[in-house]
Amino acid sequence: MRLFLAALILIGGTISAEAQWLDRKTPGIPRTPDGKPNLTAPAPRAPDGKPDLSGVWEAENVVGRPDPTNLQSWVLDLSRQRQLEYYRERPMYQCRPSGPEAERFGGWKRILQTPAAVAILNDDLTHRFIHTDGRELEANPAPSWMGYSVGRWDGDTFVVESAGFNDKTWVSRYGVSHTESLRMTERYRRRDFGHMRLEATFTDPGAFAKPWGFTVEMTLAADTEMLESVCEKSSEAWAGSLTDAADQGVSVPRDVLARYVGVYSGIYGGGPRSWEVTLSDGQLMAKITGPPIEGGLGAVGLDEAALRPLVPQSQTVFEGLGLGYQFIVNEKGVATDLVVIHISGPYKFSRQR
Amino acid sequence: MRLLLAALVLLVGTSSGWAQWLDRPTPNIPRTSDGKPNLAAPAPRGADGHLDLTGIWSGPVPETRADPANAQPWVNDLVRQRQREYHKGRPLYNCLPSGPEADKAAAWKRILQTPTAITILNEDLTYRVIHMDGRELEASPAPSWMGYSVGRWEGDTLVVESNGFNEKTWLSRYGQSHTDALRVTERYRRSDVGHLRVEVIFTDPRAYAKPWGYAADLALAVDTEMLESICERTSDEWHGGPVAADTAVSVVPEVLARYVGVYHGMYGENKRTIEVSLSGDQLIAKVTGAAAIDGGEMRSLIPQTETVFDGAGIIYQFIVGDNGVATALDEIHISGPSRFPKQP
Repeated sequence: MRLFLAALILIGGTISAEAQWLDRKTPGIPRTPDGKPNLTAPAPRAPDGKPDLSGVWEAENVVGRPDPTNLQSWVLDLSRQRQLEYYRERPMYQCRPSGPEAERFGGWKRILQTPAAVAILNDDLTHRFIHTDGRELEANPAPSWMGYSVGRWDGDTFVVESAGFNDKTWVSRYGVSHTESLRMTERYRRRDFGHMRLEATFTDPGAFAKPWGFTVEMTLAADTEMLESVCEKSSEAWAGSLTDAADQGVSVPRDVLARYVGVYSGIYGGGPRSWEVTLSDGQLMAKITGPPIEGGLGAVGLDEAALRPLVPQSQTVFEGLGLGYQFIVNEKGVATDLVVIHISGPYKFSRQR
Repeated sequence: MRLLLAALVLLVGTSSGWAQWLDRPTPNIPRTSDGKPNLAAPAPRGADGHLDLTGIWSGPVPETRADPANAQPWVNDLVRQRQREYHKGRPLYNCLPSGPEADKAAAWKRILQTPTAITILNEDLTYRVIHMDGRELEASPAPSWMGYSVGRWEGDTLVVESNGFNEKTWLSRYGQSHTDALRVTERYRRSDVGHLRVEVIFTDPRAYAKPWGYAADLALAVDTEMLESICERTSDEWHGGPVAADTAVSVVPEVLARYVGVYHGMYGENKRTIEVSLSGDQLIAKVTGAAAIDGGEMRSLIPQTETVFDGAGIIYQFIVGDNGVATALDEIHISGPSRFPKQP
């Protein structure tokens, strides 16, 4: 809950009533007889015969979700610790560049291509520069937020190799770190005028046992403009950690907690979802079961199935990593429902057993 | 002093021991017979015959000489207030984009030119896009940090018109504000391979009676690379208020009166005059002269001892004779003190 809210506050986009100028026709794109952009026309080519990737692109959401068993233990430990801190150290939440973070490959970007270089301009006012003048990837470039990149053409596929990242960025919103030895490989394929696929792979033996990555589909944004989305307020003022919640916590007798133990089911995000509430060492724990939904569920961590501690804020209200939980009890004090309080509203899950 | 120091701390550049990769020869630039870049060779042209501005550029910070008399009173009020706050609110010090601020105009940047668009990539990772596809400047684009820009060629000069700026950015590091009606006109002229001159005019009638601007001379950076310079720490923790006032001491008016006068000397290579006057029981310094720190603004001098005063981040020390009358005024900078003798 906190995470969603914060993210909404953080990203001061400028989306308002100036719709008119946003509807201008994009010049120089193929159109169908009725004047609509023809996104299935052949991909354009540059004078040198290579596909031209230039344009404003809107990429689908990306969630970087590596297999936890593929992570070195220090990476997994950090990821778990960051979950307990509501991911407040995420570079994006600190108004810092996201660098190679998988999620940054979603959203809006503009590509400019020349024979010697390609620039990728992100809507958060960061950019990448990809040398295509035939140079080799530097062995030891100065560590930077956006990395050092060289590109080459493999047939009609644009292959980008990047190195020289500092280790301040994450490769996934779930707090997955990398080392300065990170190598990133991207393969861009514009299959027609309106569609491009990116396949990206992270290689970093100091952090990941095996290379892993993600794929994202990009659509040309025709007859519109890209708007800035600039972080103006860092997460410094966030409450900070589950420990803080525990500090404000109240003590609830064990026999009261025991009345909440059970399985609660309902619908969330269009799909079934269950919460299994257990009691362990006097601490109420919740475990989410059900298919993952796009974008994850707020403060859910890398392993969705992980147990999340519920810290009592009152006899019936609990804080669980950014989501508020309220147990609805009958006159005997036995829970009948669990309400998960989310920024998009409360979701009621009925007790099954 | 504080400001300079803070700026040094704020901008965490990554310039250290990676010299080797930074020395790679830039491909495709003209060279003299001994292999050195020939910066005086004719400027390159694109396939369309227009000059090609592509390359890495940087230059000295341009002098912005905003005449306070040309600014609306609300602008001057803000400038004074921001000075008193050590310019803590400057977008750069808050890790926010500098937008059209003149003082960033000559910072390291990379220009990439295509026939239909030019992008300017700044070392702080912000960027601008200049549409070159023949479109008109929009009448009312959504306000943004970097503005909406269209360009056209007038002979060998690239003329860029921009609007659609939000009101959060400054036009200079001295805190000159602008409104969202700001229009910026830039004229870029690459005279040869190595040199690019940019003339910039700000037009904003709600803030300035007449258009004003500056020129920046940029040099091509060859056989090197541009490094990132990312703001990682905002000015949130700066004291931000009149530090001096918290620690001020009380100095009796008759002592202050002995400091009143005109002090004159050189600051760097430029003449500088500091006119000290007494307004009530408050000592005021008016600084004028070439490269004046604030274009002739008044600074309140807040006593820290009987002879040492804080003037909005700069320390002033009066040098007194045996009779307690000031003979000179020292302006104490991070670069050392400059002495300004009292004029008869």
